[in-house]
Amino acid sequence: MSTAIQALPREERESLGRRLPLWVFRAAALLAGISVFFPPANPGRISEKINASASLFTTGVSYGTITNSMGRILRSQWIQDADIKLLMLACVAVMAGVILCGAGGCMSLGNRKMRRAGLALPLIGAPVMGAGLLLIRRTYDRMLAHGEEVGKLDKLGIMVPDGFWVFCAFAGLLFLTALIAFLSTGKEADPAAKMEMEEKYRLFLMMLPVILLSLVFAYLPIWGWRFAFFDYTPGGSIGADNYVGFKWFSFLFSDPATTKDLLRVLRNTLVMSGLGIATSWLPIAFAILLAEMRSTKFQRFVQTFTTIPNFISWVLVYAIAICIFSTDGFVNSFLTNVMHVSGANTNYLQIADHTWLKMLLWGTWKGVGWSAIIYIAGIAGIDQQLYEAAKVDGANRFRCIWHITIPGLIPTYMVMLLMSIAGILSNGMEQYLVFSNAMNKDVIEVLDLYVYNIGIGQNRISLSTVVGISKSLIGITLLFAANGISKAIRGESII
Amino acid sequence: MRKKEKASVLHIRRTAGDWVFEAAVVVFFCVFTFICVFPFYYLLINTISDNDLVTSGRVNFYPMLKDAEGRAAFGVQLNNYAALRNVQDLGSSVLVTVARTVLGTALMVVTSAWAGYLVTKQKMWKRSFWYRFLVVTMYFNAGLVPWYMNMLMMGLTDNFLAYIIPGMVAPYNIILVKTYIESIPSSLEESAVIDGASTVKVWLRIILPLSVPILATIAIFGAVGNWNSFQDSLLLMNNRPDLYTLQHRLYIYLNSSSNLGAMMSQGGTISEQAAQSMLNQRVIQYTVSMVSIIPILLVYPFMQRYFVKGIMLGAVKG
Repeated sequence: MSTAIQALPREERESLGRRLPLWVFRAAALLAGISVFFPPANPGRISEKINASASLFTTGVSYGTITNSMGRILRSQWIQDADIKLLMLACVAVMAGVILCGAGGCMSLGNRKMRRAGLALPLIGAPVMGAGLLLIRRTYDRMLAHGEEVGKLDKLGIMVPDGFWVFCAFAGLLFLTALIAFLSTGKEADPAAKMEMEEKYRLFLMMLPVILLSLVFAYLPIWGWRFAFFDYTPGGSIGADNYVGFKWFSFLFSDPATTKDLLRVLRNTLVMSGLGIATSWLPIAFAILLAEMRSTKFQRFVQTFTTIPNFISWVLVYAIAICIFSTDGFVNSFLTNVMHVSGANTNYLQIADHTWLKMLLWGTWKGVGWSAIIYIAGIAGIDQQLYEAAKVDGANRFRCIWHITIPGLIPTYMVMLLMSIAGILSNGMEQYLVFSNAMNKDVIEVLDLYVYNIGIGQNRISLSTVVGISKSLIGITLLFAANGISKAIRGESII
Repeated sequence: MRKKEKASVLHIRRTAGDWVFEAAVVVFFCVFTFICVFPFYYLLINTISDNDLVTSGRVNFYPMLKDAEGRAAFGVQLNNYAALRNVQDLGSSVLVTVARTVLGTALMVVTSAWAGYLVTKQKMWKRSFWYRFLVVTMYFNAGLVPWYMNMLMMGLTDNFLAYIIPGMVAPYNIILVKTYIESIPSSLEESAVIDGASTVKVWLRIILPLSVPILATIAIFGAVGNWNSFQDSLLLMNNRPDLYTLQHRLYIYLNSSSNLGAMMSQGGTISEQAAQSMLNQRVIQYTVSMVSIIPILLVYPFMQRYFVKGIMLGAVKG
């Protein structure tokens, strides 16, 4: 923009009474926009038979999703197809209203002319929302009447969902606040004025989609923590009748079987993370030895091939494990054909002995070459004059490594170490999932895998949520502790 | 490198101890490199050898076929790869994986480039708050089950979009792009602004062309991640086997106790006998594995410098 944008007149900036309706309007528009994707706030779920996980958006656009548990009801025409279409239309109308309000909310960040135009939008949008809601109400009446006609009303669970009232409140609030804000924004005196917006708000609006995506996929899951306080079964609902407070938290300690499982899983987790931390110096050794090689071609060769395993998935690592260690794998056929050992047909993958060590070795095989890269670069960054000076003083190779290279790498290592201590409970589940079998499942199950097994495998949503919450909270505490230690020791934070 | 040569002048004279040490280290690295490479090679030769020889464990170090008298001799065949088109469900998972790799990576790169540019803008309203808002998600997550319930709530189960949309905002990549853009001289941008270019235009004409190296780096990391994706498919696609990713499909093959050959439909072109020898579970497992490794092995040598650059940039704190 070549011209600086005129700020709003001073008296208008200062008046809180004028700005309050505007901010309430913006907040309401944002909340309404999010609620569109929020199934519990779906105003269109006027029958219990409509998919409980369908949001307003889904209800408006996906016939298949909302009707997927209606089979018989639709086939027998207990709910008419036309009513569902009407419902979808109504939902689209509500969404159109929300979009108008949202656009108005964005435009209200502009200069006076733009703000007035923006605030005019919800004055149309909110009534459109209202019309959509009335249409939903009309569909409700029609379904009710039709259900009575065919005498199956009890099977249909026709209801007015909470979301209906939520959106009614949104529509009213949006209309009212927008009207007040519109009236208090005087008409632009200068007829030649253009619609413009201050740069800070323009940049923010450009960023807004990214922020919303992050909000929905990284922050909204926290809303799922509520399952920890209810007796939730998949497909069921949560409400006052199955609220259990902290039952599941105490269940972890009061139920002997769960406590035993949890202790076993924690032992596995801590041992495997511990082994990982105990061998976390290996990449440094790898890097130091590699740096001692004179031929840069050899260095590059080794580096290229030892980093490949890092880029294949754990499923492929498992495929390779089968290929090498299974009954008909390389080890057995090598023993048979080359060493002429008879009866070599052990399936090493099925043996539960030394599982922790094996997992460590697979992890090392996959990761050590890659982890070494950062230290190799660290070594390249050490001032060569230090080595020259040391050699002049008669230091040999090992003294140089001990007194120059290693101290040079310690700061990087400390960061890595602190991060791995902070992540001591999260070893990920993929590796352990692919390598687990009936023999080793007791020793291989780590916390992440346990959460998956009880949550997704056994459908114990509430229990696994509790375990997950505890894990997240401990994890964030450890991270802050690690950060604090780092600040205290190195005067630099790691996050 | 030049510095290094200069340094090595100082120890031209190697002692016997040096020789032993260096020889030992060379041997160590050769062995380790061999351990890293051999499994891939072994997998490969198992897929291009005669299947009977593979099942009887005769193929150890080089691909073998049966000669006229039925003895094993060096040779290569590609029938197993041709037979893959008859393996049920493989085609759809390859398509899904390719689609998510291309689309998911492209959208992730565009989003990261856009967000990474915007967060360098000091003028943005509450800039540092929003930046932290994005970055914090790297260190904290609500847990697997709440995440799953959230995806369920969003209608992103049994839905291809689940592979694409949640991955669009990658905070780590945003940090990388931001750090990179901050190293571009701001005078370039300023002069464009003076010439009247809008924010979008500056991004398109100046920032994007200049940040190609970092975008290539995050693209290649993103592509590998998408290609290797397994967990989201496992968790989210319960009722849509046609949307399983390649790794998920391979995981199922690796764990299926039933004969995979039975999963092959009767291909019209393959003779009964030839089909019989292909109905070998292990070999099909190996061949599918090879198919999912090959793209990475092909791309890797050309992209290695980007990978290395990526991890080095990551060492710079965001």
